Amino acid sequence: MKFIKLKRTFREGMDNFRRNGWLSFATVSVLAISLYVISITIILGVTANMVLRNIQDKINVSVYFNTDIEENRILEIKSKLTGYQEISSIEYVSKEQALEQFKKMGDKNPSITQALAEIGDNPLLSALVIKAKHPSQYDLIAKAITNSNFSADVSRIDFEENKTAIDRLSSIIKLVEKVGLTLGIVFVFIGVLITFNAIRLTMYAHKQEFEIMRLVGASNIYIRMPFVFEGILYGAVSAFVVMICIFITSKFLAPITQGSISGGDIVSFYFANFFIIFGGLLISGIFLGTLSGVIAIKRYLKV
Amino acid sequence: MLKFENVSKIYPGNFVALEDINLQIEKGEFLSIVGHSGSGKSTLLKLIYAEEQVTGGHVYFNDRSIDSINRKHLPYYRRNIGTVFQDFKLLPQKTAFENVAYALEVSDETDEEIKELVPEILDIVGMGDKANKYPRQLSGGEQQKICLARALVRKPLIIIADEPTGNLDPVATWEIVQLLLKINSMGTTILLATHNKDIVDKLNRRVIALDQGKIIRDHQKGRYAI
Repeated sequence: MKFIKLKRTFREGMDNFRRNGWLSFATVSVLAISLYVISITIILGVTANMVLRNIQDKINVSVYFNTDIEENRILEIKSKLTGYQEISSIEYVSKEQALEQFKKMGDKNPSITQALAEIGDNPLLSALVIKAKHPSQYDLIAKAITNSNFSADVSRIDFEENKTAIDRLSSIIKLVEKVGLTLGIVFVFIGVLITFNAIRLTMYAHKQEFEIMRLVGASNIYIRMPFVFEGILYGAVSAFVVMICIFITSKFLAPITQGSISGGDIVSFYFANFFIIFGGLLISGIFLGTLSGVIAIKRYLKV
Repeated sequence: MLKFENVSKIYPGNFVALEDINLQIEKGEFLSIVGHSGSGKSTLLKLIYAEEQVTGGHVYFNDRSIDSINRKHLPYYRRNIGTVFQDFKLLPQKTAFENVAYALEVSDETDEEIKELVPEILDIVGMGDKANKYPRQLSGGEQQKICLARALVRKPLIIIADEPTGNLDPVATWEIVQLLLKINSMGTTILLATHNKDIVDKLNRRVIALDQGKIIRDHQKGRYAI
């Protein structure tokens, strides 16, 4: 297509957008609402996931060894466990280190220091702190250790104490993933549908103009292009609007999410992913706008 | 220049709009087409600007059958023809200037040519001072003059006017007719479909009368009679 055509049809599209003020406002609103709902669903899903992963990261299982077990033996067991697929990390905490950590807690709570002074000896046990790749796997790891040939060296595993919390967490993660995905799909579908309808109505309003344009000898592409540009414009403007709305929403949600996301709160998440979110919105907005426009014109434009 | 050869047009539902039409129109003619509503005037004109296709026979434009034109090329063919309608068909979101300019833009005229030609044409139809008005700010007669300017600006070979005065008061009607005569005197063929007896009688040019899709009269210096 010649440059002059491109320039003129682009200008036409801009003029249409500007001069059909209310219609453009309505279309952009509908498109923005769909995009907003879709992106909030996605962002909430991602945030919930991050919160859960964050909690998950703090969960572990400690295996305590009998006092008579040498450090070498424990390290040997550690290297054996490293081979397990389900385990993501193992940390060795000697009883001296454990005592250090315990004393540190004593800085805040004097009764701990007092208790330690009374016992005199180090009452703590050496331990392996194990993290699983997935919360549901702790059960398996605990069982494997209980049934292993070094189970006699093990004093106790604190898994049972954490079991309920871990179970609950893993079921919540599964639920959030399922609900988020379902909601996401439903909202995307609804969004596409109402956007398509809004733009179809806009095109219907232009229907008579198509006829006039044809009569003065405009080729199909010349009639169609301004509306494609109009669709692009709807998408782009909606993306800007939604970007602002999401910012306000995340500001509002920030106090709730404070500390539960590794990067701070949801506002910092927003800024850290600004270009990804904006790019995604822009692309989906333009895609939705253009596609609906093209389909609608096809319907109303005959040669 | 225009030739209808055994043309018939039957709309879906077996509604016969035109039947066995044979008609020859020469370059520079001013032809009035009269007839009752539904007699086939508009259909006859639509066949010329390819809004409708013939069911039987052929319509030739400069010896070329219109139905042989590739659909893709129809926009280019339509640029030979200027059209004016009872309901004006101006683009509501464009000013008078832009409406006229649009006809030039679609045929890739340069911006310089547009800036030069449009005011010239608007002056010819006497609308030079209303260039920046939107259609809703203009009277019916003024809107119709803009339509004429738009039809004229590309220097078409034919101007088709389908009831152009149907919505106008007598004064505006005569202004439009005067303009059509002026355009015709510059060599453009004019086809005018009308109900207005006064116009046809005063014009004293060729008149054809249609009734139920057939040509019932064709007089070189005719009067309004059906």
